[in-house]
Amino acid sequence: MALIEIQNLSVAYGAPSRPVLTDIDVTVEEGEFVCVLGQTGCGKSTLLKMILGAESPAGGRILIDGVEHKQPDRTRGYVPQKYSLFPDKTVLDNITFGPEVSEFNMFTRFTPRFVRRRREIRDEAMRYIHRIGLHERDARKYPYQLSGGMQQRVAIAQALATHPRILLMDEAFSALDPGTRKDMQRLIRQLWRDSGVTVLFVTHNTQEALYLGSRVIVLAKESPDAGAQVAMDLSVPEPCHEHQIPMLVHHLEHASGSARAPEIPVFATA
Amino acid sequence: MSISFQLVHAKPNQVTTIVFSWMLFAVGLGLYFYTSQKRHQDNPEDRIMPTVTQMFHGMSDASTKAAEDDDSTLPANASLRQRFFASMLWKDTLATSRRFIYSILLLIPAVLLGLHMGLFPYVGVFFLRFILFFDKIVALSLLPILFIVFGIDELSKIMLIVIGVTPTIILDTFNLTKGVPSEQVVKACTLGASDFDVAYRVVMRQIMPRVLNSIRLNLKAVMLFLFAGEMIASTDGLAYRIALLRRHMGMDVIIPYVLWVALLLFLVDLAMRVANRKLHPWFQEA
Repeated sequence: MALIEIQNLSVAYGAPSRPVLTDIDVTVEEGEFVCVLGQTGCGKSTLLKMILGAESPAGGRILIDGVEHKQPDRTRGYVPQKYSLFPDKTVLDNITFGPEVSEFNMFTRFTPRFVRRRREIRDEAMRYIHRIGLHERDARKYPYQLSGGMQQRVAIAQALATHPRILLMDEAFSALDPGTRKDMQRLIRQLWRDSGVTVLFVTHNTQEALYLGSRVIVLAKESPDAGAQVAMDLSVPEPCHEHQIPMLVHHLEHASGSARAPEIPVFATA
Repeated sequence: MSISFQLVHAKPNQVTTIVFSWMLFAVGLGLYFYTSQKRHQDNPEDRIMPTVTQMFHGMSDASTKAAEDDDSTLPANASLRQRFFASMLWKDTLATSRRFIYSILLLIPAVLLGLHMGLFPYVGVFFLRFILFFDKIVALSLLPILFIVFGIDELSKIMLIVIGVTPTIILDTFNLTKGVPSEQVVKACTLGASDFDVAYRVVMRQIMPRVLNSIRLNLKAVMLFLFAGEMIASTDGLAYRIALLRRHMGMDVIIPYVLWVALLLFLVDLAMRVANRKLHPWFQEA
């Protein structure tokens, strides 16, 4: 069974209602790295929010492992572009927050087991801190003391700390400068390989989508007042050479401008 | 071509800043004592603008002697300390502080209600319309009703403060809660947080410094209602004393009392500001 099944999804906003997404049918298998690509305002973030369960669709449904999840929960981790960390908690507390609240409630928090388990959780969080390239002394810093890139690193560690099966990232690197962005792309790619988590990554940057994804889904609208549809669904061959990217970017950007899918010989259409 | 000097870019140096910022204090004090001295030359019995000596005597009496309407008696050889704790100033301050502290404590449920209204839609729709209406009632216009319903004792005064200030605090907390980015709540849920965790471990901790600032801004309103209650119906308290001494034109005590109240309020505000900074080192807004 596929991990994520989006069936006939359509979304409309406002009154009179304006379609944002129409008839989206996508199936994502466990372990894929799916990049959702599209121009600003084409509804790619909306699609992510639907999978997240933060908003509910006008039609169609989304199954996670065969079950409909109508609210955000532990099966799907989330890394937004902004406000991804709790500003009142230190880096360490941000990472341990997930395991603590999912294993203990307000009453069991006062048992000796919690004290023991918390030590383990902290040790694991420290391992995460090393893995994402932060120093031990950064553990006690507050988010405002970190750069944007560091904050997103912590946000990824925070999301992975509860071992979700799906990681949803909404323009997670879009506010970062190009150098930091490159590092982050390498990091998430590495973490994806190591952990086997299924990643859904929304971006408007074609280059980023091609570099990161094992699969790229392009959303585009046929006309300004129509809802966006899946214009292209490509699986990217494993070694996506850097020198190929500029040419592919050109093709894809042409595609996301109009809904017609041009033929790109390099890719095997999924 | 003229070289224009724009005042918006002016940078006063340290000395100028100090001189300028204390200037009005100096002018105010100077004018007062000049006029006071003038009036005392014309009429040594003047009670409108007491001199420093008069005010000092008035205050030392207030802080060592019991009020005229105080029935308790001290032994003749009571120490200065004992006398101070039996004095008018101390007892008035104590009475006012007690009411003040009760009122501040009653703001805690207001903060919690605002938080829950902002976070849980059912609680929000249940209370919001009513509190918006309640907020528009002029609290002082309710004072007679409160005296009739709760009597002329402590409860009606505290209720006045509660009715006057809590709607503001509730609505402010509500807005602050609404202002927490939705990403934070969604993120907490994806990490396995329960409603309780979201409310108290994510949202409340984030808005707490702003809530404290909001309470600080509303301290004036708390004092306003407290003083109105004390002046109209009370047998002790700082405002009661000020209202009582007005009848005797006791400016030598009224003026120090007013300054004493200002000092107390300033200290409370300062303590809250310092506590806010110490408790929330992550908070990045003045």
